[in-house]
Amino acid sequence: MSRPTSKVTRYAGTAAALLLLLAMPYYLDAFWLQVGAFVMAAIIGAIGLTVLVGSAGQLSLAHAFFLAVGAYGYAFLAGEPGAGSAGTTLSGPGLPTTVAALLAVALAGAAGLAFSPVAGRLHGLYLGVASLGLVFLGQHVLFNARPVTGGFNGRPIPELSVLGFELTGDEPDLVLLGVPFGARERLWYMALLCAVAAYVVAGRIVRGRPGRALRLMRQNPIAAASMGVPLRRYRAGAFVFSAMYAGVAGILIALTARRVVPDHFGLVLSVEYLAMVVIGGLGSVRGAAVGAAFITGTPLVLSHYGDAIGVFARPGEDGIDAATAVRLLYGAAIVAFVIGSAQKGRPHAITITMDRARRALPGVSRRRLQRQGR
Amino acid sequence: MRLSLREVSLNFGGVRALDGVSFDVEPGSVHAVIGPNGAGKSSCFNAVCGIYAVGGSIRLGDRELTGLPPHVVAGLGVARAFQNIALGGADTVLDNLMVARHHLTGAGFVSAGLGLRRVRREEHRHRLRVTEIAEFSGLADVLDTPVAELSYGDRKRVEFARALAMEPRVLLLDEPVAGMTYHEKAATVALIRETREVLGVSVVLVEHDMPLVMGLADRITVLDFGRVIADGPPAHVREHPDVLRAYLGAHP
Ligand SMILES: Nc1ncnc2c1ncn2[C@@H]1O[C@H](COP(=O)(O)OP(=O)(O)OP(=O)(O)O)[C@@H](O)[C@H]1O
Ligand SMILES: [Mg+2]
Repeated sequence: MSRPTSKVTRYAGTAAALLLLLAMPYYLDAFWLQVGAFVMAAIIGAIGLTVLVGSAGQLSLAHAFFLAVGAYGYAFLAGEPGAGSAGTTLSGPGLPTTVAALLAVALAGAAGLAFSPVAGRLHGLYLGVASLGLVFLGQHVLFNARPVTGGFNGRPIPELSVLGFELTGDEPDLVLLGVPFGARERLWYMALLCAVAAYVVAGRIVRGRPGRALRLMRQNPIAAASMGVPLRRYRAGAFVFSAMYAGVAGILIALTARRVVPDHFGLVLSVEYLAMVVIGGLGSVRGAAVGAAFITGTPLVLSHYGDAIGVFARPGEDGIDAATAVRLLYGAAIVAFVIGSAQKGRPHAITITMDRARRALPGVSRRRLQRQGR
Repeated sequence: MRLSLREVSLNFGGVRALDGVSFDVEPGSVHAVIGPNGAGKSSCFNAVCGIYAVGGSIRLGDRELTGLPPHVVAGLGVARAFQNIALGGADTVLDNLMVARHHLTGAGFVSAGLGLRRVRREEHRHRLRVTEIAEFSGLADVLDTPVAELSYGDRKRVEFARALAMEPRVLLLDEPVAGMTYHEKAATVALIRETREVLGVSVVLVEHDMPLVMGLADRITVLDFGRVIADGPPAHVREHPDVLRAYLGAHP
């Protein structure tokens, strides 16, 4: 049981972190706000996946597919008919953008539900391989259903707006405390709101009745069934949940990137999401958030500042360019994290590292004090 | 409520794990099922719980259980403590006991995710009851300990308490004292007695410890190679020639 004081400090910490995040648009430039929006989208997607893989024990490689359903679902449903790039003709019902967003999430959920006859019967590695099929199916559709997806060059993303106020665009002008609230600022707040909501909701589910049932189902399905847990329904439920989270994440990714292209939603993306939840500690909502920030943020930031650091080859030159260096670096970091957690025999790689760091802190500062005293 | 098995049979490939097994568990009694290793005792529990499809008929009161999936059988009031501990290791004792409330509670993904008042009340109410059951089972001190950190005997006890937390009508205990120390055994025996007296549930007990079974059971069914070879009160079963043969290999 946590003591009331520690509860107070925890609330204070959360409040301070939230305030800090709310104040960010006053300090950060457009690049950082965009990185932030991508990171928050990934956090939502990773939370959905950690509940599926970590709590329910259902290995899924289909996450990129459900992200694509969200992103393209929104792009199509909100899109107007017109000419796309490279001679394609785009179709689209041009629904109000909020309706399109909600429908796109529902569509992702429905896609998860449609897969649930498979998800309810298989588990572990078998499900992983079966879910792989969805990614290939998705890629095929994205490249070839040109009127809907725009094909190779993708589709532009309409700004999300409520009653004429653009949540992700510049219209109408808005200036708060002397700072113009343009597209990037608004996007930051919307992504933040979604991420916080996703975090809170998932935390409650994981701590509550569904989470307990999912965890026992993972560790001992027969025991879970004997406790009254309908296994198929819960396996399917976890899949739908994770697909809907992926749907929200997909929409946010699309809104941030302003264009969706099929290449983004390949198998590599699925694997990246798996990496996020593995280094965060399977089943940990907080860990998934940290893992998502790391895997999504690091390459963006490093490739942005890679030129400034100047050790990397420019595109076209021989040698290692910034993007490659980033991959190598974070590939090594993932291996280090996983080895670190596997050796401890405990699953929560990042959160444990963080806890250990925090515990070590007073010691460090004590030593520093002693040194200064001398 | 009476649990009756009639001509229950179950095959695994060529192995007849259960071969026309029939017996009745009277309401509120302690009914032991004994027999040598591999006799089919655990299979009998699996059959009742709906883990495997079996031939014959299994009834609880006048409800037919055969053909029902395990989670429905659980909902009808059949709880089981597993022979091989089947707990969620990383979860706390409290969480493990709360899973047993699954069929008594209703929070789903949406209502739990939204943190509705109904859900918070339900959680609170069941937590109180589960805490009571933990105290009754002598687990009050370890409620917040992850199960993996408990001793073997304590984990066995959590297994027992979890079955109890289902508020069952029939409690199936598969070797509840196996591997326990002398004192832990005594405590568990007292617990089983009290469970029957205080809660009035029927207990079906699988156990190899003969003195314990003879002292605790109202009636005993003896299985050997999937068949019932004797059935009756302890005094009757103890003297039964087939039982002596099965256990001691004695020839008449
Ligand atoms: N899932 C299964 N697949 C194949 N055979 C099984 C399975 N479960 C049990 N058996 C076989 O059925 C027979 C009865 O096994 P069961 O586990 O019911 O015995 P038991 O009486 O509980 O024994 P023990 O005292 O060792 O627990 C054994 O021969 C066993 O090998
Ligand atoms: Mg057995």
